[in-house]
Amino acid sequence: MTFVGLAVTFLGFVIAFSSLGITDSTGGRLGMVLAGIVVSLIGIMGVLTPAYQKTWIFKK
Amino acid sequence: MTKKIVLVLAVMSCLARGGTALAQAPAPEPAAAAPAAAAQAAPAALPITDADLKAAVKPTDRANGDPDGALTGTANDIAIADAKAGLTVADVLNQIGANRIGVNFTWTLLCGFLIMFMQAGFAVVEAGLCRAKNANHTMMMNFMVYGVGMLAYFLIGFPLQMGGAGAIANLGGTPVLNSEFVVHLFGKDIGLFGNTGYLLMHRGTYDVAVMVIFLFQMVFMDTTTTIVTGTLCERWKYAAFMVSTMFLGAFTYPIFANWAWGGGWLAMLGSNFGLGHGYADFAGSGVVHSVGGITALACALIVGPRIGKFTRDGKPNPIPGHDIMWVLCGCFILAFGWFGFNPGSTLAMSGNGGLRAASVAVNTMLAGMTGSFGGILYMWIRYGKPDASMSGNAFLAGLVAITAPSGFVNPVASAVIGLVAGVLVCVSCEFVERVLKVDDPVGAISVHGTNGIWGVLATGLFADGKSNYGGSWNGVAGNVTGLFYGDVGQFVAQLMGVATLVGFVFVLSFVFNLFVDWFVGQRVSAKSELQGLDLPEMGALAYPDFVLKPESELTTA
Repeated sequence: MTFVGLAVTFLGFVIAFSSLGITDSTGGRLGMVLAGIVVSLIGIMGVLTPAYQKTWIFKK
Repeated sequence: MTKKIVLVLAVMSCLARGGTALAQAPAPEPAAAAPAAAAQAAPAALPITDADLKAAVKPTDRANGDPDGALTGTANDIAIADAKAGLTVADVLNQIGANRIGVNFTWTLLCGFLIMFMQAGFAVVEAGLCRAKNANHTMMMNFMVYGVGMLAYFLIGFPLQMGGAGAIANLGGTPVLNSEFVVHLFGKDIGLFGNTGYLLMHRGTYDVAVMVIFLFQMVFMDTTTTIVTGTLCERWKYAAFMVSTMFLGAFTYPIFANWAWGGGWLAMLGSNFGLGHGYADFAGSGVVHSVGGITALACALIVGPRIGKFTRDGKPNPIPGHDIMWVLCGCFILAFGWFGFNPGSTLAMSGNGGLRAASVAVNTMLAGMTGSFGGILYMWIRYGKPDASMSGNAFLAGLVAITAPSGFVNPVASAVIGLVAGVLVCVSCEFVERVLKVDDPVGAISVHGTNGIWGVLATGLFADGKSNYGGSWNGVAGNVTGLFYGDVGQFVAQLMGVATLVGFVFVLSFVFNLFVDWFVGQRVSAKSELQGLDLPEMGALAYPDFVLKPESELTTA
């Protein structure tokens, strides 16, 4: 799950960065960058954090 | 009581009005001008000749000293290139240029010295917020982070960050910083990292202006590295701390800083893709504080919480620090150093908007003030007490949040930014602890990570277009202007910076620290942690004369 979480997080950056090549519209870029940020946050808070919580000392 | 207050206010008002009247007494009428002769044409401007200058050089008699300073600092002190030729126009012009750059060097270096002193502030804040049994270890992390970070930056980090920064006009040029590795993407040159300046000797970087920018940028980098130590204190292995810090100072920080400040692709979003003036981060809410806070989050996930921080069902237990006095004193040390951090980022007091450092300093001060109000009011209303540690953190949050926009916004916006930061840090601390269940003893993730991002976004919202740093920013003519003043593109550029921080910097930091965990091990043993890290890791207690209370007796009100 660590690698899945990292991949999702990085995917968010790729989505945001690729907006520069996919569209010239400021509005379009705004949408894609926001989407990228949300995807990255899902990767960090939705995938990585729960995966690591299971290994923490208070769960053992 | 109310009547007394009204009476006092009325008396004060009268005194104020009277004082104002006295202060603003109309000036006496000017004496009637002497009858003017027929206006004469102004004499034609005469060029200053070398002969004029030679006449200005007069011997001064200082045999009896110079008590009022009238004789010191004259044309005699201008450096002369050719003693035989004497003082020339060229000498005078060269002296003017040297004075300008000298002023800017002095300003930048002194600000760098102030920022260096922030290391002491961070050290005592973190040590005060940890338990006494870990104080030596925490202080030692903050002590050595200065050296470890500097070494990494000297060897690798500075060339990566600033190798392609180009000429810095305020410091006399730095034309040798001219090697940026670029890839061609989307029809543009995308700068990724610099490649000049290794050991400050490589390719002409043994240069006085490069020395100034190295020192100034190095102390910024050290601020980033010290942030992580606060989140991981009380359970981080000292060896792991050193390795992790080396990587942060050598790679993670410099790469993002190159993209933002060193001519990299984030800075060029304006000139390459029409997004405002590119990612604008005046003094580093994103580059310094968010990188530190996000790296701290990545490491905290890997290392895990302290023993006893959470119950089995995930309910957090408060673990109070051992010295709140040092915490608040440290906050003042940091605020003092911040006068170097933000105003110093003009890199000038002469030319190219250098005098705007005055505005930057006031913006910084206001945001810290309103930040503290935001935090203290939030805690007082929500929990019934004005919590000292959160008040200090809110003060710092305001300073973090204003760091990026400080050069571009007005005082009212600064106050608003700080106030929002003060409330945001409290909410973020609760979220990180109760929802994410991440243990952060000093709140660094919320102070620096969350509010660093808020500062980046605030730049894209509140920049009012009134600043002027030489008529352009990041190669785009005009002044940085945010969404509220009509530039959507600027806000998108800031968002791109945020996406890079959460999507790239976090991953880079996480991956590297995973390797550190596999090969070195990040966390101390449970036995060491319960004993306190001072003895097992450092071999000495911070307070050997004190008998420390067992933790079961430590409670909060």
